[in-house]
Amino acid sequence: MSYLPCGTYFESYADDQKWWRTNFIKGKMIFMVLLLVAAPYIVGSQWLSVFYTINYYILAALGVQLLIGYCGQITLGHAAFVAVGGYTSAMMVLFLPWPQFMVDAGLVYPISIVCAGFTAGLWSVLFGLPSARVKGFYLIMTTMAAQWITLRLVITQLSKIGGREQSFPLPPGVIKIGPWVIDSDDKIYYFSVILVLICLIAMGNLLRSKMGRAWIAIRDNDIAAETMGVNIVVYKLLAFFVAGFFAGIAGAFWISALFFVSPENYEWFYSLLWVGIILIGGVGSIQGIVFGSAFVVMVFKLLEMSVLSLSDVLMVSYPEWGWVTTKIIFFKESAFGLAIIFFLIYEPNGLSYRYWQIKNYFNLWPFSYTGK
Amino acid sequence: MELFLQLIVTGVMLGSIFALVSLGWVLIYKCSGVLNLAMGELTMIGGYVCLSFYQKLVTIMPVNYAFVLALFGTIIIGLILGLLTERVFLRKMIGEPVLAVIMVTVGLSFFFKGLVFMIWDTDTQVFLPRIFSIEPIVVGGITVGAVYLWSFIAAMILMVVFICFFKYTRWGLSMQACADDEMAALSLGVSAKFVYALAWAIAFMAAGVGGTLLGNINGLNYSVSSLGLLVLPAVVLGGLNSVPGAIVGGITIGILQNLAGGYGEAFVPGSKEVAPFVFMVIFLLFKPYGLWGWERIERV
Repeated sequence: MSYLPCGTYFESYADDQKWWRTNFIKGKMIFMVLLLVAAPYIVGSQWLSVFYTINYYILAALGVQLLIGYCGQITLGHAAFVAVGGYTSAMMVLFLPWPQFMVDAGLVYPISIVCAGFTAGLWSVLFGLPSARVKGFYLIMTTMAAQWITLRLVITQLSKIGGREQSFPLPPGVIKIGPWVIDSDDKIYYFSVILVLICLIAMGNLLRSKMGRAWIAIRDNDIAAETMGVNIVVYKLLAFFVAGFFAGIAGAFWISALFFVSPENYEWFYSLLWVGIILIGGVGSIQGIVFGSAFVVMVFKLLEMSVLSLSDVLMVSYPEWGWVTTKIIFFKESAFGLAIIFFLIYEPNGLSYRYWQIKNYFNLWPFSYTGK
Repeated sequence: MELFLQLIVTGVMLGSIFALVSLGWVLIYKCSGVLNLAMGELTMIGGYVCLSFYQKLVTIMPVNYAFVLALFGTIIIGLILGLLTERVFLRKMIGEPVLAVIMVTVGLSFFFKGLVFMIWDTDTQVFLPRIFSIEPIVVGGITVGAVYLWSFIAAMILMVVFICFFKYTRWGLSMQACADDEMAALSLGVSAKFVYALAWAIAFMAAGVGGTLLGNINGLNYSVSSLGLLVLPAVVLGGLNSVPGAIVGGITIGILQNLAGGYGEAFVPGSKEVAPFVFMVIFLLFKPYGLWGWERIERV
């Protein structure tokens, strides 16, 4: 909860429960949507790929946030479900005998996105089954097993379909929604923005429903939740299903950005990265996903830029130091590890907590005592 | 039948290395409740440290002495690194939520992996000149590579040393006390910080020796760290907080992996790597706390 500005109060419950409670917030939200629409024209095209990578990470981390932040089920194998989504969508687009009118109408890809969501959701439920009996570390192990099993399955079985070895290229023009062929960076960007907005709104509303309250009860104390009549097995599996669904959508979106699927986009590293994102952003906060994704992608981008320019300088002026440039790639990985560690040590509540503090400072401005 | 026995015997030998590494893992978990996902990287570091020592030493002394000295060096470096890691990164995380601590170990694994690649590069490196002869030893129709046999012996010796340390020394006693009831141990004057540091040091040392042995078998490269992760199914199998469980689990996983490699690979390619994980998921459905793990009893 955040504090309201001084002098603002409500007289009915409906007003108090609204999403956007003051005119200022409404204005801010509309301004943000406008900003998202105008972003390609403001920053130029070379940053667009960064922006849609952020959006992809948001989509993928949504499920992780749901499981860890709202339902208390720790997962370290989310990339597997994203992989299932990506492969389902790509397989459906490439190999199913679609009737010609559906191809012409551009229905193939949208249908495959929904199917990818369901497949990934069901696959995720399969590995969520042990959550009925185990929690904590043992559950981490089953989700890690999901990662290994899925990736092995994909590499050894799926990748051989159609005679191709590792990756499936998607020919241009295959990915289209209605008459809208997704083939350029700004189209991918707008598509990602639309998907992210839909998914964030869906997630926010789910959490305000009975289901969301049940998840939060399970997170806070599952035994207490059970004694209060929450069927924890059903709700835990539902959480796994919804998280897998979001992951499937993320995977299906990402093939439209890459134009191919290949196993190395779903390494264990990504599962860990998405957990890192929600920890950096803030566990149990929807804004946290956005902040975390933006932070991580930006850090990677800045590190990459600085590394590249540094290696250019080294190559030109100090050729005998050339060996540094080959080592410096691994420096990025090390730096990311250290960033996670120090974030957890010095900012354990994540970026969204800092944002909350700043917001409240301005909301309560002349009398800014919050009791803390 | 011959193949079956062969696979079992090799599996036991390989499994003893897993058991050694998972022993370090279990000690950390028992004493401080930290789930250490950086174990694979610790194994890799140990292997590479030993390799550098060995390459330096082998120029000035015979092969056998060089290797034993290098192994000693690895253990000492492991001790120092363990104490340092605990002091710099994990001491500040005492009392934080489990997920945060797990992610710190994940961050550590990224950090160490990058560090290892920066120092030693990504190419596969082997211990040259060879320490163990290529000539296999034949016992009753079963051939066993000398590397495997010596690994088994070394792992067994180290395991006995660690267990004796844990059971019969004063420091080991304080570790046991901390594992049993942290609050009570603290109030009786056991220094929790010292115990945690000790647990990390032991984990680093065990992983270092494990990495060296694995590196002798297959050569050192990135895959050693994924072999180190195989420790986790082993640990789960035996139960998280059980030292004998870690040993039994490690050997079981070793046998399982070898059997899957020998028989399963023909039907499902890649089953060698997946088999331990599949087995673990099914196992957890029936026995949620492993074979000898403590069942947590919770009250609201």
